[in-house]
Amino acid sequence: MRMFATIAKLLVKRVLTAIPILLIVSALLFCILRILPVDPAAMSLPPNATVQEVEAMRTEMGLNLPLYQQYGIWLNKLFHGDIGRSIHFRQDVTSLIGSTLPATIELAVIAMGVATVFGLAGGLFLFYVRGTRAEAVMDFLSILLLSLPEFLWSLFLLLIFGVFFEVLPFTGRLSPGFERPVVTGFLLLDSLITGNISTFLNALEHMILPCLALGIALSPSLMRVLRSSLLDAYQDDYIQQARLRGLSEKRILIRHGLKNAILPTLSLMGVQFGFLFGGTLLVEIIYSYPGMGNLMVDAIRNADLPIIQGAGLTYCIAVLVISIVVDSLYLILNPKLRVR
Amino acid sequence: MTFEIDRRNLLQMLGLAAVSGSVLSQATIAFAADTDNVTIGWPSDVPSWDPNLRFVPDAQPLFKMVFDQPLDQSPDLKLIANLITKWELKPDGLSMPFEIRSDVKFHNGDPMTMEDFKYTFVDRIKSGLKLDIANSWRTLTDIEILSPTSGVMKFSAPTPTAPQWLAFLGSYLVPKKYVESVGPEEFAKKPVGTGPYKLVDYQMNSRIVLERNDDYFGTKPKIKRVTIDIIKDPSARTAAIQSGQVDLTVNIPVREAERLGKTEGLTAEINPFTRLILLQMRNDMGFTDKAVRLAAHHAIDKAALSKAFYGGAAVPLSIPATPGTPGYLPDYKFAYDPELSKKLLADAGYTADKPATFKLAATNGQFPSDFDIARALVQMWQKVGLKVELEQIEYSKYFELNRGGKLPEATLYSFDNATGDPEIFSGYLMNPKMPFGAWKGQEIGDKILKLFVEPVYEKRIAGYKAVAQEAVETGANIPILQSVQTLVRKKSLNYVKYGNAWVLGSTMSWS
Repeated sequence: MRMFATIAKLLVKRVLTAIPILLIVSALLFCILRILPVDPAAMSLPPNATVQEVEAMRTEMGLNLPLYQQYGIWLNKLFHGDIGRSIHFRQDVTSLIGSTLPATIELAVIAMGVATVFGLAGGLFLFYVRGTRAEAVMDFLSILLLSLPEFLWSLFLLLIFGVFFEVLPFTGRLSPGFERPVVTGFLLLDSLITGNISTFLNALEHMILPCLALGIALSPSLMRVLRSSLLDAYQDDYIQQARLRGLSEKRILIRHGLKNAILPTLSLMGVQFGFLFGGTLLVEIIYSYPGMGNLMVDAIRNADLPIIQGAGLTYCIAVLVISIVVDSLYLILNPKLRVR
Repeated sequence: MTFEIDRRNLLQMLGLAAVSGSVLSQATIAFAADTDNVTIGWPSDVPSWDPNLRFVPDAQPLFKMVFDQPLDQSPDLKLIANLITKWELKPDGLSMPFEIRSDVKFHNGDPMTMEDFKYTFVDRIKSGLKLDIANSWRTLTDIEILSPTSGVMKFSAPTPTAPQWLAFLGSYLVPKKYVESVGPEEFAKKPVGTGPYKLVDYQMNSRIVLERNDDYFGTKPKIKRVTIDIIKDPSARTAAIQSGQVDLTVNIPVREAERLGKTEGLTAEINPFTRLILLQMRNDMGFTDKAVRLAAHHAIDKAALSKAFYGGAAVPLSIPATPGTPGYLPDYKFAYDPELSKKLLADAGYTADKPATFKLAATNGQFPSDFDIARALVQMWQKVGLKVELEQIEYSKYFELNRGGKLPEATLYSFDNATGDPEIFSGYLMNPKMPFGAWKGQEIGDKILKLFVEPVYEKRIAGYKAVAQEAVETGANIPILQSVQTLVRKKSLNYVKYGNAWVLGSTMSWS
């Protein structure tokens, strides 16, 4: 009960803190985008528009008003649930984000799962081989993995598994001919809800390469943090005491070492999950994955400020939600924090 | 121990992935081998399935498979009948009587009528919807319906390029009854056209699936189902054609196209089309002196640029028009002559100690090899004594910089014109009232403005040829190359090549 009360208190506190953060981020986003020398009015008109028509559009879009007034109008609309209308697609930004966000969340969550599996397994292995010759090799490999960004992994995996071995698909979310159920927008979930197992498996196959690319790129830092946390934890007295109590090394590692060492790794995972959202941009383009990253790239290319603002805010909200989840997990895993 | 378990799990996962992937890839190959289907890897999506909404050149081939334009273009870009069977722009350019087919049906079975024409080109625009075609038809005041199959387009000012615009960006016929009954948002979700294919599935930024319209009034497509995979990354498009996941793709790097052309079962083409690569010029700052502008032009080895960046397939240009289009001057050549450049600069008083200096702006990735071309230009200019500073700009910033007079002396630019008409080449590029050109010299601007309302075709074309040559000889414009489209396809897949780079599933067949 006490744990739930503490978590509830934390949630209230974090939600209250999130409001000014969102306001600051929205103001920053708005100002930065308006300062950039791009002309959304010209971009919203066809190429044969005259200078006068561009000017008229600037007035209609309110781009000739002082910046603070433009922000005030935008914020007022935002409070009424109107993020704006896309310049390029001429659709509500809310519906565009709503139709692409589930794909990105699905991608990011599974990629985070991949990163967690690789990161934890690798971290444990690095710890396991400490003091041996294999440690130097593994150390080198982990640094090598760390130095490759996700888009390079994307291209590398695509060439290996898509072109060379031709064993995995690398375009889109589903192969042609498969039924695409729409319930929640989360394809994996929707195919399960509708009992469409073949679609589920096909969608999963399409996610293997992008998720591996994102996951592998994130895993080395998790490995290294877990290894160093384990090394720190094993310096503590309770490990020695556990050994004196005759517990097996495996039990000591799982029940004592890992439980304490996992907390910094968890923090890092929270931070990385935020980065993962950003990292989907290029990966979605390479794998033709119809998520928010893909939409964002279109928006940047077309100076579609309403989408960039909407997507930027969505990323910010996602990061805040993730940090609340991570903090809650911290409270669950670490009783000392609950006392405080 | 934990590691052992994880490793086992990992190996199981990889094994499962490999097995399922191999099943899938076999399925894909089987699908591709089916002569009723074709899969195209295309670099961009439609902005919306409302074809009147936005002008996006790369989306035109996609629209053309679902919708029809009143007029069409033949592969060599001549205007041909389509939904409109007869048309005649009156000598004053203020009206255009036309006749339409009586046997055309929309995908929902509704017959096409003159009401649909009036709705698409007049009523829909006047309703206040923000449609890009409103800009192309701003002079169209009404379509008078004379009979079920004949009418007259009426213009408020001479509109000499009205026929060209009936086959150009955004001018697609939409069904009045259907759009009015479902509304524009729903129409964009479930589009209904008269085109050779019906849209059966669409996932934004991912895939378009089209099925043959068996009631099509024109030549029935041979391929029953066309799948268009939207693959924006050129490396991924290269991989997709190489692995057989698509049967045809376009706009991959020239070197990759050349490599894939040597691969068994594939063939590659590097096709010049109606896109110019040119330098937008200012008439002030470092370019106030005509001698500097001309020296800059004479110093450019266009053939070398074509060879270095486009495998020699991009045609060097002396005029802002592409070969085969009405405004092209086949016998006119602007010489590559570095010695003349040096002389022009010396005569104008520029020396090694006091060199002519200017800035060049270029995009990076807006069109193939753009920034590389800009770097090569800087080197060519350095050889004749021009001191040039290169800066990178985003394409989306171009109009803002131009509007504010903040572009540098020269900007590397590309310009598409599927019609090939000189109004949309020289006219748009040098019309001082339009946002494209950086040149603000009134003399050329006035001539262009007169040509915009010149209704006599021959006079108009001759006028554009003259003004284009004058622009080049005064350094108001430096055309460089005709751009190219790379295309790689399976050898057994046939298609019809268009001079404006349209790639249409409706023209494809397997052999």
